[in-house]
Amino acid sequence: MERSFAKEVALLRRGDGEIFEGEGILAITKGLLQAGVSYIGGYQGAPVSHLMDVLSDAAPVLDELGVYFEPSANEAAAAAMLAASINYGMRGAAVWKSVVGTNVASDALSNLASAGVKGGAVIIVGEDYGEGASIIQERTHAFAMKSSIWLMDPRPEHQRFVALIEKAFELSEASNTPVIMEFRIRACHVHGRFRTKANKPPAISRKAPLAAPDFDYNRICLPPATYLQEKQKIERRFPAAIDFIRAHRLNDHFEGRLGDIGIITQGGLHNSLLRALSELGLADAFGASEVPILALNVTYPLVPDEITQFCAGKRCVLVVEEGNPDYLEQAINALLRKADLNTTIIGKAVLPMAGEYTGEVMLEGVGRFIEGAVPSGVDLAAVAAVLGRAREAKARAAALLGAPVPKRPPGFCVGCPERPVFSAIRLVERDLGKINIAADIGCHTFSTLPPFNLGNSVLGYGLGLASAAGVAPAFGEKRVISIMGDGGFWHNGLTSGVAGALFNRQDSVLVVMNNGYTSATGQQLIPSSTAGGRRPRISIEQALRTMGVSSVRTIRSYSVGRFARALRRALTTGEKGLKVIVADGECQLARQRRIRPLLRKRVAEGARVVRTRYGVDEAVCTGDHSCIRLSGCPSLTVKDSSDPLRVDPVAHVNNDCVGCGLCGEVADAAVLCPSFWRADIVQNPRWLDRTLFRLRQWAVGKLTPAAHAA
Amino acid sequence: MSKRPLSLLVAALGGEGGGLLADWLVAAALAADLPVQSTSIPGVAQRTGATTYYLEIFPETNAALGGKRPLFALYPTPGAVDLVAATELLEAGRMIEAGFVTTERTTLVAGIHRVYATIEKMQMGDGRFDAARVLEAAQHMARRPILFDLTRERRTAAQPINAVLLGAIAGSGELPIARGIFEQAIRDSGIAVESNLAAFALGWEIAEKPPVPRLPLPRLSADERAIVEEGVKRLSDYQDAAYAQLYLARLARVRAAAGEGGGDLLRETARYLALWMAYEDVIRVAQLKSRPERLAGIRAEIGAKPDQPVHVREFFKPGLAELAAILPPRPGAALSGWAERRGIVDRLHLPLRLRSTTVTGHLLLRLLAAMKPWRRRSHRFAEEQQRIERWLEAVMRAAAFDTALAFEIAQCGRLVKGYGDTHKRGLGNFTAIMTALVEPALARRDRSAAAAVKRAREAALADPDGNALSRALAAE
Repeated sequence: MERSFAKEVALLRRGDGEIFEGEGILAITKGLLQAGVSYIGGYQGAPVSHLMDVLSDAAPVLDELGVYFEPSANEAAAAAMLAASINYGMRGAAVWKSVVGTNVASDALSNLASAGVKGGAVIIVGEDYGEGASIIQERTHAFAMKSSIWLMDPRPEHQRFVALIEKAFELSEASNTPVIMEFRIRACHVHGRFRTKANKPPAISRKAPLAAPDFDYNRICLPPATYLQEKQKIERRFPAAIDFIRAHRLNDHFEGRLGDIGIITQGGLHNSLLRALSELGLADAFGASEVPILALNVTYPLVPDEITQFCAGKRCVLVVEEGNPDYLEQAINALLRKADLNTTIIGKAVLPMAGEYTGEVMLEGVGRFIEGAVPSGVDLAAVAAVLGRAREAKARAAALLGAPVPKRPPGFCVGCPERPVFSAIRLVERDLGKINIAADIGCHTFSTLPPFNLGNSVLGYGLGLASAAGVAPAFGEKRVISIMGDGGFWHNGLTSGVAGALFNRQDSVLVVMNNGYTSATGQQLIPSSTAGGRRPRISIEQALRTMGVSSVRTIRSYSVGRFARALRRALTTGEKGLKVIVADGECQLARQRRIRPLLRKRVAEGARVVRTRYGVDEAVCTGDHSCIRLSGCPSLTVKDSSDPLRVDPVAHVNNDCVGCGLCGEVADAAVLCPSFWRADIVQNPRWLDRTLFRLRQWAVGKLTPAAHAA
Repeated sequence: MSKRPLSLLVAALGGEGGGLLADWLVAAALAADLPVQSTSIPGVAQRTGATTYYLEIFPETNAALGGKRPLFALYPTPGAVDLVAATELLEAGRMIEAGFVTTERTTLVAGIHRVYATIEKMQMGDGRFDAARVLEAAQHMARRPILFDLTRERRTAAQPINAVLLGAIAGSGELPIARGIFEQAIRDSGIAVESNLAAFALGWEIAEKPPVPRLPLPRLSADERAIVEEGVKRLSDYQDAAYAQLYLARLARVRAAAGEGGGDLLRETARYLALWMAYEDVIRVAQLKSRPERLAGIRAEIGAKPDQPVHVREFFKPGLAELAAILPPRPGAALSGWAERRGIVDRLHLPLRLRSTTVTGHLLLRLLAAMKPWRRRSHRFAEEQQRIERWLEAVMRAAAFDTALAFEIAQCGRLVKGYGDTHKRGLGNFTAIMTALVEPALARRDRSAAAAVKRAREAALADPDGNALSRALAAE
């Protein structure tokens, strides 16, 4: 794993009234344990990858309590695990990245929601929306509404959201309905403090096992039970939820001096809203606002009388709701109409329909609302001054900078084993022309960015090969390439992609990146991980052969020339059917973390260790940068040429080089230029090393003229 | 006015230790009993890309606040950030661009060295963003700029930038936290404590007496004389004294054609003429790679200790084209023609992978380099002299009626460089511009063609597939 929480998990043992200081992810875990959760499943993905890591590292704490945790095969499996709460009074939790994980889980979720739950079932989702998100931009809200699952969006304040996790289980049990709790990216990683409660050992668990299975046909998702379940959702579960939310005050109502206006906000955006108000001079540093606020920690369902009571007597209410469609704004408008209230609802008129509500967006939107609502007793000139200051700073900066600052999106790390695969594809394209590439989700999606710009479509995790099914025959004789990571391969690609392609006799080429982990999410283990021998390793190549793929080759990804030849062959051979190349190379981040301390130790102990570095002859480089366009390695960069005649910067390998050799391989395979060299430095040389080196130096010296005017 | 949280924004690149810097700041604030919150954007966002960490610290202790808890935000707001720390100049620029650095409020602590973005590095010419403008913006937009260049002003490239920034933040006095508390945070983290403490001390010093930020001087564009001198030196080394004389003779012709006021034109012609005459071939590469001072340079670059043997391997892969280039004109032309017809120019190569630190490897390089006199009789030599003459001829004809056009034609020499495909592409672009724009303009004595030639040249450098150039030529 990229990050270890071994030290922090001690915090999970804190008892009644102690202070917890730590990251949101840890606080959520603590909240689950305080609520007496019995089992947890999930699948990694930012921003909740670390939640899975914490749970893995927390094994001793979980074992003490009898809590069962498993890293599920995918989100559908994690959702299906919640079946345990349908028949038994066990509290269960599942974790994943949304909206994509929710998409994958939605079959199981629909069934779970229809059957209803006896034990509390809570799904923690990381809402990957906005700046830093890596996926399509959609809301989880729609899933909650269509399946009648309750949706919580708690205020990002440790004490409050930890308490709400416990309430979520109670709400789930009181209404027999699963609850989704969403945490935005920054909330997952927010460092804060709260007062803890002791962990609650689950009522039913590995330590307190069930005696007998429970059967109730009405909990099976098959007609006629499903008709009954749909009725129950409306007649019993929905009203029960509304009663519980109202009775337990899950939403937070803050009074304010300016009674003729108000703001209804998603709980998760409460702090951003308060900051905007305080910048505008309408709130203090402790969260006391002059504008009354209703913070919805539960965004579905809304409690009708809470909304109408809040709006009654107000001229104008702002709805702060991130993303689209504007479900809350629509619902609130409908509620007011039914109650015959004339309060004007402003939402997307001043706040954007699309995109994250950053500090800037919030300030601008709230400011415009205040300017338009004209509440009595507010100095509008001061509001305008604040807004003007922020706008002017950007305008001045733009003028000074002269041009937009170049973007710097994430990319392949130094020495990444996936980069050479795309270098090889670029080389093959030089001979065969452009090739349609069905890309997949993972670090390898960076291939679509400069300098490679490779990949014609991205359809979802593990769906690289499946997404080539329609386009492959359309290219006729010219084969297409699909990409799949090992993570995506086990998540679903093996069946949705490989089995489907075999069954349908797809004639194309698949490249599987075997780097040993789900690396984009932080190097979690997968079935083909070796994990230092702790787990049985399932080989990807063997799995493919067993399924009947006759053409499988495993190639070390750094051997660009070999890889390109194999790829060219697979693309042009007369043999029909699916051809798979497994690109082998361990995630360099993981590898460096593993071997660096080891090598350092060996050098310190006096062992002979050879270190490899690559470099560029400045005098030979002409500054065309083809090598950079075929590699994009962060350590392969440019610098001013020291040659007074040359104006273009020359290529240069900096000290971050890990010696993977790609730049040299590419220069060689692409016949680029002879500028690259590889240097092997012998640390702690032996007698033979030293003698041979001296001899060679002496001989070479004899061969070389003294001055360089040769 | 009542107290408000201090807001701190850290801009870094994935892998630079921005997360650790945020952790140190949080630990220091906690140790000082100050309420604190930090947040970041996790996940793939941190794979080498630009990323930020955001912290808020309340400048009053928990003890003094009693039970009151300040409300912290998760996002920075433009115009409302107290301290921006950036590990690199362009990232500082990104924060300035977003409005987070303002004269009313912001202390900007930033390293001003450059780590180039892919989009800057991959251009065929020079795609680097104008660093001087960012530096100017930094000095104008910050209330208090604390800017330093670790890579240049001191030989401290090994100093971890995150700890230097922590030291500078601490030393700025903008946070109500004592020095010892920050240092304890470094010790408690247990990560490379010694070097981080040293870097912290350096940062503290920088904040106490901020250096006058200076960019590495933009390389003084050498004047004509310096360029001609360098050209003569280059060509004597490349071939012989007679070849350097030819260079001077060619320049004299251009000077005569240019008459008065041809300063820039002469300088650029002198530059590209020298580079073109010293075109790259295997003989030249072997000569450069077998220089006696080369190994010492490599050893310094990779930080090899004196007692450590270093073995160097070259990625040297001459092919048919390189062989044809050094054959005499007839067989050379015959061979390259034959290879062209068979479509195998790019197929047959001799991957030498030679080890230049071994006796045989070095001997081979010396033998290749020793073929220098032979070059004059080679196929490629004859070809290049013809091309050079055609180019110079165009420069001189243009100089007769439009110095600006002559200047642009001279600058087209920049397109012809490199090896193999790169050279072929560059030459192709050069020829296309000469045929489509330059020659018609010369025939018409068209005084308005300079801008078009400039646009076409820039288009040729804009993308390696030649699409921009085709569009540019079609548009003229």
